[in-house]
Amino acid sequence: MVNTNTNALGIIFPNSYDSLVPDLVSERLMASIPFAGRYRMVDFLLSSMVNSGIDNVSIIARKNYHSLMDHLGSGREWDLTRKNGGLNIVPPYSEKNMKVYSGRVEALASILDFLKNQKEKYVILADTHTAVNFDFREMLNAHIESGADVSIAYKREEIPEGFKNISTSVGDLYYTLSIENDRVNRIFINSSEPGLQNFSMNIYIMDREALMELVKSAYARGYIYFERDILAPRLDKMHVHAYRFNGYTAHLSGMKSYFDENMKLLDDANLDALFDPNPVYTKIREDNPTRYLNGSRASNIMAADGCVIEGDVENSVLFRGVKVGKGATVKNCVLMQDTVIADGAKVEYLITDKNVTISSGKELKGTDSFPVYVAKGQIV
Amino acid sequence: MAKEMIAMLLAGGQGSRLYALTQKLAKPAVPFGGKYRIIDFPLSNCVNSGIDTVGILTQYQPLVLNEYIGNGQPWDLDRLYGGVHVLPPYQQASGSDWYKGTANAIYQNIPFIERYNPEYVIILSGDQICKQDYSDFLRFHKEKGAEFSVAVMEVPWEEASRFGLMVADENDKITEFQEKPKEPKSNLASMGIYIFNWDILKKYLIEDEADPDSENDFGNNIIPNLLRDGRNMYAYHFSGYWKDVGTITSLWEANMEVLDPEHSGINLFDDEWKIYSRTSGMTCHKISPDAIVENSMVTDGCRIGGTVKHSILFAGVRVEPGAEVEDAVVMGGSVIKAGAHVRHCIIAENVVIGENASVGAMPAEGEKGVATIGPGVYIGDGATIGPNAMVNQNVKDGDEQW
Repeated sequence: MVNTNTNALGIIFPNSYDSLVPDLVSERLMASIPFAGRYRMVDFLLSSMVNSGIDNVSIIARKNYHSLMDHLGSGREWDLTRKNGGLNIVPPYSEKNMKVYSGRVEALASILDFLKNQKEKYVILADTHTAVNFDFREMLNAHIESGADVSIAYKREEIPEGFKNISTSVGDLYYTLSIENDRVNRIFINSSEPGLQNFSMNIYIMDREALMELVKSAYARGYIYFERDILAPRLDKMHVHAYRFNGYTAHLSGMKSYFDENMKLLDDANLDALFDPNPVYTKIREDNPTRYLNGSRASNIMAADGCVIEGDVENSVLFRGVKVGKGATVKNCVLMQDTVIADGAKVEYLITDKNVTISSGKELKGTDSFPVYVAKGQIV
Repeated sequence: MAKEMIAMLLAGGQGSRLYALTQKLAKPAVPFGGKYRIIDFPLSNCVNSGIDTVGILTQYQPLVLNEYIGNGQPWDLDRLYGGVHVLPPYQQASGSDWYKGTANAIYQNIPFIERYNPEYVIILSGDQICKQDYSDFLRFHKEKGAEFSVAVMEVPWEEASRFGLMVADENDKITEFQEKPKEPKSNLASMGIYIFNWDILKKYLIEDEADPDSENDFGNNIIPNLLRDGRNMYAYHFSGYWKDVGTITSLWEANMEVLDPEHSGINLFDDEWKIYSRTSGMTCHKISPDAIVENSMVTDGCRIGGTVKHSILFAGVRVEPGAEVEDAVVMGGSVIKAGAHVRHCIIAENVVIGENASVGAMPAEGEKGVATIGPGVYIGDGATIGPNAMVNQNVKDGDEQW
C-alpha cells in the first residue's frame, strides 16, 4: 500500500485534569471546554494529529462526555470519517469488561482488544488540557531515531500555577523530568520546584505491542498510573527519550489560567504561534459574519462569527453568537457562545459560560486576579 | 422511490457584465455577503424547502464552482439517493454539444431527471440573491392545478419594459408573455424560477429540441409554446427580497443591503431560514486597539488595524493600520496595506492594495461608478484607481487607472 499516512494511532484522554477547572467541567470535560473564540480544547490535538498524517484516533472518555460526542459527531470536520481507522469514541461500559477508569493504565487496559487489532506500529498518547499546534510526525521521527522505548514531550517552562493546587485525591498528577543527554533519568511527581522545569506535556509515543505488554502486566498488578507506576520505576531499564517542544502552548490549569490564556491570544504573535503552520479544525456552526452596528465601538478584541455588536467592547474574546446590546460596555471579558450582554449592561473581568444573559442595566465586575465566572445558561 | 420535486439549477451563465469578477469564475460562484457565494442562496432555499435533489448545470469556468460544491455536505446535500450533482455537458454516442440554451441544458439531462421519477421539476437560476420557500410555490402550483407556474415580482411600471413580463388574469392564470416589451401590459416580472409538471416539461423539451429554428430557451421558446397550446399556466407572486446581481453595481448594492437588513429586507441573520456555505475554517477575526470598525460585517480570519466603515470584509482580509476602507466589498484573502484608501468599490479575492494606494472614490451626485479590482491583482504602492475603473491586471507603483 502506498504510504500516505503516519504509522501511528492516537489515543486521547479527554478527562485529564478535569479537577483543575471544576466550574468549567460541571457539564462537560476538559476536551470540550471552549477556547480561543471558536474551538474546543480537543480540536488542537485532533487537528495536530490529522495534520501529522494520523487518521486513527481513539478518545477514551471517563465521564461528562455528552458535550464531546455532540462536538465531534462522526469526526467529519477533522477528516476522520473513515472506513479504516477514523474517530473512535470509547465511553465507559462500552464493553463488558469496561468500567469508569481512574488512571491511564486502566483506560488503556479497557481497550486492549482494540489495540491488538490495529495495524499501526506506534501509539501516541495525549491529554487535552494543552492547546498546541504539535507536529507528531517530527516527534515520531525523533522517537524512531533515538531508538528509545518511549518518548515523552516536554516543554522547558515554569510549572503553571494552577497545577500546584492539584488535588491528589482525584488522581490527577503532573510530571517534571530530569534529563541527561535527551534521556529521562527521573520523573518527579507533583513537584513544586520554582523556576524553569522540564514540564511534561503528557504526550507519549511508544510501540503499540510493547505498550500492550506493559499495560497488561501493570493492570494485573493493580497499577493505575502509566507515568508513576510504569515509567518512573523502570527508567534504568527502559530508554525513555525526552522530546523537547519549543512551540506555543496554552495550558488550562484553573479559571484564572483559562482567562489569561484566552486573553493572551489578543496578541497577534501568540495567535499566529498557536494557529501556524497548520490549521485547527472545529465543528462548524452556521453563523453569519459578525455585525458591527452604527454606534458600536470595538478595540483590541478577538471575535468569532455570529456576533452582533451594538455597544462598546474592549480587550475581550467573544465566542460565536455573542450579542452586545446598545449602550452596553464589555471590558476585559471572555464571553462564550451565545452570551447576551443586554442594553446598557456593564461588565468587566467576566467569564461567561455558554448561553449566559446579563440583563439590561446590570453591572458585574471582577478583577484581574479574580475574574467573575457565570455558569452555563444563567441569567443575571 | 420517486421524488415529489427535484430542482435543476441553471449555473452556466458567464456573467459577462461582472467583467473582472467572472474572468475565471462562473457567476454563481461569485462571493457574496461576507462568507457566501451566490449559489448558496438557491441551494439553501432548496434544502430549507425540503428539496434534497439538485442538478447544477454548468459549462462556463466550472472549476471553482465544482470544488466549492464538492459532495454538497455544507448544504446537507450529500445523500445516498439524490443530493447535489454537478452536470456539465458531456459527450454522447450521437456526438457532443455544449448547452445551446437553458432549455437544451435541461433536455440534455432528461436521463438524470428520470432517475428520480419526479412529479414536478423546479427550474432555478444561479445568479439571484433571494430567500424563497419553494414549498410554498409548489403548494400554489398544486392548488391551481397548474402544469407550469412561474414566480413573478411586481416591478415599478416605468421599469417594466426591462423584464420578461407575465400578463395574468384575476386568478393568476397567465394569458400572455411579453419579453422586454416597449409597451408593457403588466408589471409582473418573471424571476426565471419555474415549476413544471415533469411530464409536460419533458414533452415540450423534446418538441423544442426537434425544432431546428428554436433557440432552446425557456423564455423565448418553451413558455411561448405552452401559451400557444393553452396550457394551465399560473403566476406565483413573490414579494420578498430578490435581486439579480448581474452587474457590478447591483452586486455592490446587494452587498451593501446586507448591512442594513432592517430596511433592505435581505436578512442573513434569520435562524428560521439559514443560508449555508462552505466555511473558511480560519480563526476568529481581530480588531486592534487603534482600529475603527463601524456599521460593517467582518468574518473569520480578518485582521483589522485601520478604519473600516460601512463595508463587508470576507474571510482572511487584512486592513493594515492607517488604511481606510469605506463602502467597500473586500473579498477573501485580500490585503489593504498601510495608508491605502479603498472606497465605494469591489475588491475580488486575494488582491493586494499597496501602501498609500487609492482605489475608487465616494461618488459625486448622480454618479454610480463602482471601481472593481479583479482576483489576484496587485495594485502598487501609491497607485490610483479611478471610480469607474475595472482592473484585472497588476498596476505598477504610482500608476493611475481611470
